[in-house]
Amino acid sequence: MTFRTILIAGVCASLGLVWIIESGAADVFLEATRSEFQKIPLGVVGIDNVGGPESPEGRAKLGSRIEDVLKADVRRSLVFSLVDLAPLRIKASHPGAEPDPSFKHATENGVSVIVWGRAGLKTDTKPPDVNMDGYVYDAGSDEVVGGKRYAGSTSVVRLMAHRFADELVFRYTGEPGIARTKIAYVSQQGTARELFVMDYDGFEPRQLTADGFLNLMPHWSPDRRFLVFTAYRNRNIQEIDMIELATGKRWTLVSQGGLNITPALSPDGHFLAYSSSHEGNAELYRLDTRTKAVHRLTTNAGGDLSPSWAPSGRELVFASDRSGGPQLFLMSADGSNVRRLTFDGDYNAAPSWSPRGNWIAYVCRTPKKEYKLCLITPDGQKRRQLTAGPGVDDSPSWSPDGRHLVFSSTADGKSQIYMINADGKDLERITFTGTHNSAPTWSPAS
Amino acid sequence: MKKLPTIYLPLIFGILIAVMPACSKKALQSGGDPQTFQEPTTKSGITRGGGNREGTRGGVSPNFPDTAFSSGENSNSLRGIDRDPSEERLNGDVGSDGGFGGNGGSGNNRDRLMAKSDPGAAARQLAEIRSEQLASAAAGLRDVFFAYDSFSITEEGRHALSNNAEWIKSNPNTQLKIEGHCDERGTSAYNLVLGEKRAKAVRNYLVELGVAPNHLSVVSYGKERPFCTEHTESCYSQNRRGHLVVRIGE
Repeated sequence: MTFRTILIAGVCASLGLVWIIESGAADVFLEATRSEFQKIPLGVVGIDNVGGPESPEGRAKLGSRIEDVLKADVRRSLVFSLVDLAPLRIKASHPGAEPDPSFKHATENGVSVIVWGRAGLKTDTKPPDVNMDGYVYDAGSDEVVGGKRYAGSTSVVRLMAHRFADELVFRYTGEPGIARTKIAYVSQQGTARELFVMDYDGFEPRQLTADGFLNLMPHWSPDRRFLVFTAYRNRNIQEIDMIELATGKRWTLVSQGGLNITPALSPDGHFLAYSSSHEGNAELYRLDTRTKAVHRLTTNAGGDLSPSWAPSGRELVFASDRSGGPQLFLMSADGSNVRRLTFDGDYNAAPSWSPRGNWIAYVCRTPKKEYKLCLITPDGQKRRQLTAGPGVDDSPSWSPDGRHLVFSSTADGKSQIYMINADGKDLERITFTGTHNSAPTWSPAS
Repeated sequence: MKKLPTIYLPLIFGILIAVMPACSKKALQSGGDPQTFQEPTTKSGITRGGGNREGTRGGVSPNFPDTAFSSGENSNSLRGIDRDPSEERLNGDVGSDGGFGGNGGSGNNRDRLMAKSDPGAAARQLAEIRSEQLASAAAGLRDVFFAYDSFSITEEGRHALSNNAEWIKSNPNTQLKIEGHCDERGTSAYNLVLGEKRAKAVRNYLVELGVAPNHLSVVSYGKERPFCTEHTESCYSQNRRGHLVVRIGE
């Protein structure tokens, strides 16, 4: 067992965390509740600017840009609490092998981890090259436990910060972090709605489709290489398509006539669950992505849609209006053992099963007829409303660490994309441009 | 049916199985669901964006790649914090950090559009939508409006549809598309289901009025193609509609 493993085990044990203990039959994972989660106090001294002759603008902004992204990532990790080191007059240590004497002052004030670094722009290479070093001091062992060295073009500056943040989360939790995850979504372009992908913090949006009509409801493959989504051929025929992000290559997976909506790949990628009305009304189907065999999952007079897989892949939650307004139902992955999950209110839809398994997020209509986000446990025992106020909330999707949700809302007028913690705190808007951004879906971690 | 020797039962059963798909297909067609079995023609990439799409037959595509986790080494996995870190070169590729493709490192093509789409696709869609709108306006086809959460045709809707039916019957060579639309309240996904129910309600009533079902197709746009975008009841009521369009071309 390496030192790092012991450290991780020790940190987890001391925090009293029960990490992802899978219970036998039900798809429920246990985790300490958020209030018991003691965040690790972490301070960022700063990312200094170093390097040879370069443009004054690039040098002045580079370090602080990386620092800002890193601090935001650390704050959103919910693993660390970001401590403001400015009042403590902590100095960075360069080249970083030894702790600066001023660190003692920080640890006396309860800081557990100190992070600092430097960044430089090299203009003698074409295109100009960015270098970044980052260092980590751990108060527990009173030493600089190590660092990272990154190089790349000016277009990966934010990625350097994201990757460093994920390394910090990984070191202290053994989990990969979410700072390098992506969010796919739908954005209005003229009269059309097209697929886009952006970083999890709303930066670096990229357009994926340009069909000039409607592409809806993207959903990631578990390997993050593909999106499945609903497209309209000739504006008249709905189908489920798949696009490869690296190449833009596109496939039609399902084109059965009628509705072909809400595709969702299973956590192992072996099955595509979707809703289609080609046999009359909207029913759920399961396509085996290896044999291409289709298995019908539901049979009833109501509309069945929006399947979301349990992290085990053994169960699905979905919306159905078989009993009037839409309600959430659970079933086994073969369509058996169907039972109703929600009983509060007359409209519950768009379910999303947490990757930790312990919660299902969905859109609930409140007594005031507002469409807000709710959470319910898969056993139906606990339920709570997550968002409140005006605006239509839609399309909740979990971060791979199960600590955040991304969703769309018209709370500020036009439909925009927001992030919120699973405990309802830290509501953050992440899209600010355009007339309509919707259907966000969070990528798996890498 | 009188007594049959049990030996024939498997044979009869087999014939039933063989005939059943044809029966259900026919039944659905005559039951007024013609769009259901209208197989899309295989003009991949010509009719719309995706210039290099595969698997464009109706039904389920037989050839698309494995979407599962590759079991191989994941090049974008974290390498840990080292005492003596070696330099990691980042390029933002899909393979490295879920970024975007192209030749990694330079970052020069990170801004390009990912889909290898036909650059004229969007303009062509717009032109076709415009000519459909013109043809529909010239025909004087009227929209049908619905109550909140409802897909029942109102008295006013029936009146509009009887006018529409007369026009359709006197123009037997036209193909009509019935679009189902919803207001912005509720989820995108459920509104697609509701939009289809509205479009089918319109279609069924037109068939009741004697319009041949094979002249009609239905499509749901849910709340994705709103007529207006204000958050007011007067706007909502205009968006809850069945919209009849004269189909142009394919």
